[in-house]
Amino acid sequence: MREQSLIEVSYSKELKGDNTMGEVFFKRFTFNQLVQHWVMIATFMALVVTGMPVKFPDAWWSPVIINMVGGFEMRTLIHHAAGISMVMLGIYHITYHVFVDKESLLDRKVWPTLKDAKDFWQTVLFYFGKAENPKYGRYSWKEKFDYWGAFWGMVMLCVTGLIMMFPFIAMEYIPYAYVHLATIIHTDEALLATLFIFIVHWWNVHYSPEVFPMSKAWLTGNLSEEQMKHEHPLEYEEIMRQMREKNEKVPD
Amino acid sequence: MLLISSSVCSLLKKNYVVILIAALILLIPDVSAQQDVSCYHCHTAVVNEFRNNIHYQGGFSCADCHGGVLESNTTVISANAMSGNFIGKPSRNNITDICSKCHSREASDYKQSIHWYAIEKGHPEAATCTDCHGVHEIRAIADNKSLSNHQNSPATCAKCHSNKELMSAWYYGIKTDRIDTYKESFHWKALRNGYNVVATCADCHNNHVTKSHEDPSSSTYPDNLPKTCGKEGCHPGARFDAKVAAGLVHDKESLHTGELVFNQSRLDPQMKAYFLGPFDLAYWIAIFFKILTTGVIGLFAAMVILDFASRFKIHRRW
Repeated sequence: MREQSLIEVSYSKELKGDNTMGEVFFKRFTFNQLVQHWVMIATFMALVVTGMPVKFPDAWWSPVIINMVGGFEMRTLIHHAAGISMVMLGIYHITYHVFVDKESLLDRKVWPTLKDAKDFWQTVLFYFGKAENPKYGRYSWKEKFDYWGAFWGMVMLCVTGLIMMFPFIAMEYIPYAYVHLATIIHTDEALLATLFIFIVHWWNVHYSPEVFPMSKAWLTGNLSEEQMKHEHPLEYEEIMRQMREKNEKVPD
Repeated sequence: MLLISSSVCSLLKKNYVVILIAALILLIPDVSAQQDVSCYHCHTAVVNEFRNNIHYQGGFSCADCHGGVLESNTTVISANAMSGNFIGKPSRNNITDICSKCHSREASDYKQSIHWYAIEKGHPEAATCTDCHGVHEIRAIADNKSLSNHQNSPATCAKCHSNKELMSAWYYGIKTDRIDTYKESFHWKALRNGYNVVATCADCHNNHVTKSHEDPSSSTYPDNLPKTCGKEGCHPGARFDAKVAAGLVHDKESLHTGELVFNQSRLDPQMKAYFLGPFDLAYWIAIFFKILTTGVIGLFAAMVILDFASRFKIHRRW
């Protein structure tokens, strides 16, 4: 159980005069995770902007973007630099969360479970007004899909990207045909990732009426009590239960 | 004395228009004799083209290629131009001889090429000097309007190599999709966006010594490919055992039809490298991503739309 994060509830400094507590915030992401996400945003956007003009070389916007970033050579340089940064981020992420983070790997809440499949179906029914909105724990099935989608995408893009970056080193081990296959995988996977982020992820965190114009969790790492109750009710209950237990243990 | 000079002055003033015209008439032939050659009077368009020619700027004239005696100060066609060693329009298999008078090294390189081989075999439509460098408008290679400029090389080669009638006029072995397939390559995508330091046709196939890829001395012969790619300024450090030949350098999506091939002994070794069992990976991977992308984006876009639509229900969402 991730005790440490569950009881990290912070109270706003200002206590109100009528003896009630100020607004309560729930720690959703640690600063470490926030920085990882910021680096991810920066490198991802740089990669999309400099990569798509080569995926669609005949589009009218392709030369426009290439000129905007400073010519084709600069485009390549930015793409390579951002790509390497993203790979470093991936290595850091895995190293940190596998070796440094003390929590047992099996206890992580990000693994897909049978409940997620049920929640998915319940969500569909909910959208048609046939069921309640499913109650989520720390991560909903959408968030888990986001995470594992990005995970799979980064592995694919990293491997194929390195093949494309050093084709003649790669060709000492694999035939030229596979370098061509790497370009297919790299560009198609990148297109999938871009569409997913711009449509689905941005809907969930920017456009959706609950959070519009954006969920501030990516900047502060905190969720309000209201958000917590609605979006992660199971986690909220768990935290409240633990806090009660803790308070009961306190000797009079 | 004063009277005479004043009368001369008045005469000059009165007739200055006439004098001006007379002076111009005297000057024009002199000026044009330096700029124009006598051929100009009939071959106006050709001479105008010739003015952009690097040879014209270097002081050469029509007679240097076409033979005959240059009569630069005549105003009508000179019989002399047609006399002596005047050759008129050279036949296609003589063009190399004319150019080789000065460009002997290039001509001897060219004479090893498959183009010259075809001309010798009686196919005069095969490329000769003028097809790549221009006929009368031969510009310096560095000039970006030159047909043989690095950036223009694909279009210049495509003039013939995308022409189905021309390519099939000899035999059906010459592929006409070379420019289409080149346009799928990273080289072209970079080139069209102004990055000049990438390979165009001549960099791999050689500009003058253009040989068939079946010729063991060709730069595009499978065993020579790593050396060709590893040229200084391209991919230096490419190992000699790099597997460049195991794959289609000229590749495009439509070459991969997805047909299942169980007996691969008949396959081109370049194509064979794409196969895993009977499956053409280039085709099936593209299909896989089409299904994956359509599936994932379709499913989640549908969820987004449903999510949006569900807001308009009376009950509160939470």
